[in-house]
Amino acid sequence: MLRVLALASVVLLGIAPQASQAITVYTSWERHALVGSDVRLSCSFFSWRFVSEDVSFTWRYRPDGSRDSVSIAHYAGGEPYTDNKGAFKDRVEFVGNPKRRDGSILIKNLDFSDNGTFTCDAKNPPDIVGRPSSVRLLVFETLPIQAGVITGAIIGVVLGLLVLIVVIYYLMRFLVARRVFSLSVSKHGKKKKEGSQQRQASFLLLLFFLFLLPLLQYPPPLLPPLPHMHPVCSDKRNRLARCHHHMTIWRDYNSIQRLLREFGMRKRVVKGNIHLLCMAAQLT
Amino acid sequence: MLVLIALSILHIAAIILLLAATIDNAWWVTSTTSTDVWGRWVLTNNKWNMTDLPNNYPTDYLQAVQATTVLACIFSIIGLFVFIAQLFTLPKGRRFTISGVFQALACLFIMIAASIYTDRFHTNEKSIGNYGHSFILAWIAFGLTFISSIVYFVLRKK
Repeated sequence: MLRVLALASVVLLGIAPQASQAITVYTSWERHALVGSDVRLSCSFFSWRFVSEDVSFTWRYRPDGSRDSVSIAHYAGGEPYTDNKGAFKDRVEFVGNPKRRDGSILIKNLDFSDNGTFTCDAKNPPDIVGRPSSVRLLVFETLPIQAGVITGAIIGVVLGLLVLIVVIYYLMRFLVARRVFSLSVSKHGKKKKEGSQQRQASFLLLLFFLFLLPLLQYPPPLLPPLPHMHPVCSDKRNRLARCHHHMTIWRDYNSIQRLLREFGMRKRVVKGNIHLLCMAAQLT
Repeated sequence: MLVLIALSILHIAAIILLLAATIDNAWWVTSTTSTDVWGRWVLTNNKWNMTDLPNNYPTDYLQAVQATTVLACIFSIIGLFVFIAQLFTLPKGRRFTISGVFQALACLFIMIAASIYTDRFHTNEKSIGNYGHSFILAWIAFGLTFISSIVYFVLRKK
């Protein structure tokens, strides 16, 4: 087993350098353009070596139906050279950045005779083994119908609306179910059920009183808001006791006491405060 | 039971017709061409070649026809799955409303497609060619989906 592994690794290491030395050239597959317009044919390459000073790009053109190709642009030794004799005279311009592995050319003022195949060959010494890549240029009088934009838009919008409606429907069902569930829990858990409006109003009033009372007696402490507190108090003597009874969450009552004590209020004052809170709640 | 089978067959038939109308390039045929919403078949030297549609077609209407035929197919197929699901999950006495809605949407979309095509394409070429089988199937599919959706809205689960 080990021997097989060793053999395989040796073989791979032997092959890999050769494979990695090849240069790969990338161009588009096909380009469409209108008569009279300009088109930019892009060409880039990938090489395992850094871009050398002698990097070279060669562009060849082969008309449709012909078997010969003619060279129209060349970049070598840091200088671009373009066609100055043939059909592309003064129409080709080298616009790529060879240092960034880009060897694109710009062909201006297209004509129907420019239909054909353009081949880009890039060499990055010492990395010279590679296959050139071709791009086919098609020149139109008017651009053909691009089967896509409006079609895709209509289909996308309708399906999107469908998905949205389904999601909203299930969301509403989920929310309603959760609300029903929480209401039923509150009905079982508490001794007295308060409406939500009443709850909010009493809460606000409680907050108001809590802030007001310390101002009268001591420097104002900071009390956190008290949730779920709506004591219901009925008569004078047993007011506190009943109040404590009716407080929905005992925890909060104890914490209020603790907090008020922390700020230096004495027990009677604490009780008095809660007493007033109960009164305030009853007023709402 | 028989009613359900008949309904399923009707629905599947509608789907098949919709697919044939959408995929087949035969909304308008002449002696040498067979054209439609996606491409054009041209008979040259006894060989059929696929070519692009001519540029004088109104592009937005063409793409609207393409989109709506595809959407009609999609909604009808989804409707079939929804119908089968509803067969198992719907409580007794309830109507197949959701399947009906999907079929109705498919009906609406194929109607839009066929109407646009009838009104905007080949309006001056009546002497040269005639409507092909995809066009006819589109209108028949409109009728089938319409009947299907009505039945879904009316039928109650037993």
